[in-house]
Amino acid sequence: MKNRFLLPLILFALPLQAAQEERDATQIVRDAIDHWRGLSSYTEMTMVIHRPDWERSMTMRAWTKGNDQSLVRVIEPKKDRGNGTLIDENSMWTFSPKVNRVIKVPSSMMAQSWMGSDFSNKDIARADDIVDQYEHSIIHCEEVDGITVYDIESIPHEEAAVVWGREVLKIRDDHVVLEHAFYDQDGGLVKKLESLEVGEMGGRTIAKRQRMVKIEKPEEWTEISVNDVEYEIDLKDSVFTLSNLRNPRD
Amino acid sequence: MRLLPVLVRLAWRYLWRNHRRTIIMLSAISVGVWAMIFMTALTRGMVDQMIKDGVSVLPGHVQVHHPLFLDDPSVSNRITIGDAELARAFDTAGFKAWASRVKVPAVIASERESRGVTLLGIDPAAEREFSFVSYDDVEGRFLEGADDNGIVIGRELASKLETEVGKRVVLMSQDPENEIADRGFRVVGLFKANMPAFEESYVFIGKQAAQKMLRIGDTTTEIVFLADDYRNIEPTFKQVSARVDSSLEVSRWYEVDTYLGTMLKVMDGFVLIWVIVIFLALSFGLVNTLVMAVFERVREIGLMLALGMKPASILGQIIIESMLLLAVGLAIGDLLAWATIQPLQGGIDISAVAEGMEMMGASSVLYPKLYLSDMIRANVVVLILGFLASLSPAWRASRYEPVEAITKVG
Repeated sequence: MKNRFLLPLILFALPLQAAQEERDATQIVRDAIDHWRGLSSYTEMTMVIHRPDWERSMTMRAWTKGNDQSLVRVIEPKKDRGNGTLIDENSMWTFSPKVNRVIKVPSSMMAQSWMGSDFSNKDIARADDIVDQYEHSIIHCEEVDGITVYDIESIPHEEAAVVWGREVLKIRDDHVVLEHAFYDQDGGLVKKLESLEVGEMGGRTIAKRQRMVKIEKPEEWTEISVNDVEYEIDLKDSVFTLSNLRNPRD
Repeated sequence: MRLLPVLVRLAWRYLWRNHRRTIIMLSAISVGVWAMIFMTALTRGMVDQMIKDGVSVLPGHVQVHHPLFLDDPSVSNRITIGDAELARAFDTAGFKAWASRVKVPAVIASERESRGVTLLGIDPAAEREFSFVSYDDVEGRFLEGADDNGIVIGRELASKLETEVGKRVVLMSQDPENEIADRGFRVVGLFKANMPAFEESYVFIGKQAAQKMLRIGDTTTEIVFLADDYRNIEPTFKQVSARVDSSLEVSRWYEVDTYLGTMLKVMDGFVLIWVIVIFLALSFGLVNTLVMAVFERVREIGLMLALGMKPASILGQIIIESMLLLAVGLAIGDLLAWATIQPLQGGIDISAVAEGMEMMGASSVLYPKLYLSDMIRANVVVLILGFLASLSPAWRASRYEPVEAITKVG
């Protein structure tokens, strides 16, 4: 998965990269994302949505290509099988076999939750905006277990379509994003995406398990763990079409 | 006909022969008439206010849209004529006020909440006449021009979004290609409206900022015109229709908001029904009084008939009696109503029940509105119905057999 589609994942699971010389903050973020975008990827992951009185988990497959195409499809549990999301450039569609309809996600639904998780549709679809809609600066830099970790503060531009006052990313020198925190305009922490487990997979060091938590409701969270990942695979353009969203050919 | 003055004089004297009964009847009529007019004025005032508020939110008495816009208010159904051309067509035409604006549904999001709103991209100078928002009664400031980059939202919305002046919010809508159009705006002001519902559902941004965000060049979705009075919009309507392309739809405010339009029509019927209902109650008293008056003077009537007065004159006399009674009662009632409404013109504070009123779309101060036409209508209805009600006792009186009547005991 290297697409803006799974932005949070992307940011967190940055592939290992050779140690860099001095870089500025924007470059650190851009490198991380660019590296992620690569040419293509295939991921199998499990998403656990936790609430105080229930919990459910979904296993999904995701394909990404270039920086603006991605497709996610649920394979488990059975009742959700076939539910999918397609992102192509700036548009997002969802498909549910139960109603047998492809629905284009309108702007009014972008702020709503994606598949019932703590991620919004916008988190999923517009992830790569992080590079150019913000002003980045390194606010802290420290050595942890021999790896340099940069704390990067990203402040959205005046006209950016971003509600946050600022975001703080902890990015390791090897491009693994350890934490992505969202602050409101009063400086209060609202939600946080944390990498709970970092490891090697598909030939790269990535965040294998990440959790999104809303600070006001710590007992509600969504966790995504990567089960399998392959990079730089050959994907046809026909994968990212509405007809493939509707009628899987894999 | 020379009999008439005599009959009137006779009737007037009879009326005051039993002055206690007459005064009781008079007070019943006056109170009834007062109630008719006063209640009518109250409801009129309420509906007027609702319409005024409603029209001011619509806003605009005559509106021009793309024919599909009212059913599907999206930028795809916009008016494709640019602002410059519109200004050429309308600026010199002598309209009281006109404005073109971008009005589309949008979603506004803060860090914690997102809500559906109606986005109004306006030129504040042109909209001053239309706006339900007083530009001066704004916490912070109102938009300063069509190119203002800020956003003004309602107080109620601000508290729902947990945002405030100086913070940024994100507006999301769709461009003509159905792609997502979004942008961040800094809240520069919080407006106050009569009704919380307005504060929650409208947000204002500069027209040019809206056009840029929605990628629609210098086009807009709605052109509005103000007529002198919301009841008299036909001249403006004709003038506008003559000037716009036939591919656009020109509508009157009551066609855009059918609820308000219907309300206005229902009101006229309601006033009439109200007057009749009160009169029905009154008429029992009236008929009773007249019947009593007739019974009381059976012998007298018999004597008059015996002396040669025609039955028609007797009939006329009783009817004149009832008309005099009603006329005096109406005069007192009208005066009473006028005297009570006059000091209340400044508005009656009904904020105690404001919540319920808001559900109907009325605000919390009631301004009674006395229309001459309502007053005349009440008076005419009372006189006509009073005439009909007095026919029966009068007819009875005129049919007495003189001999029988004179000799009647009691």
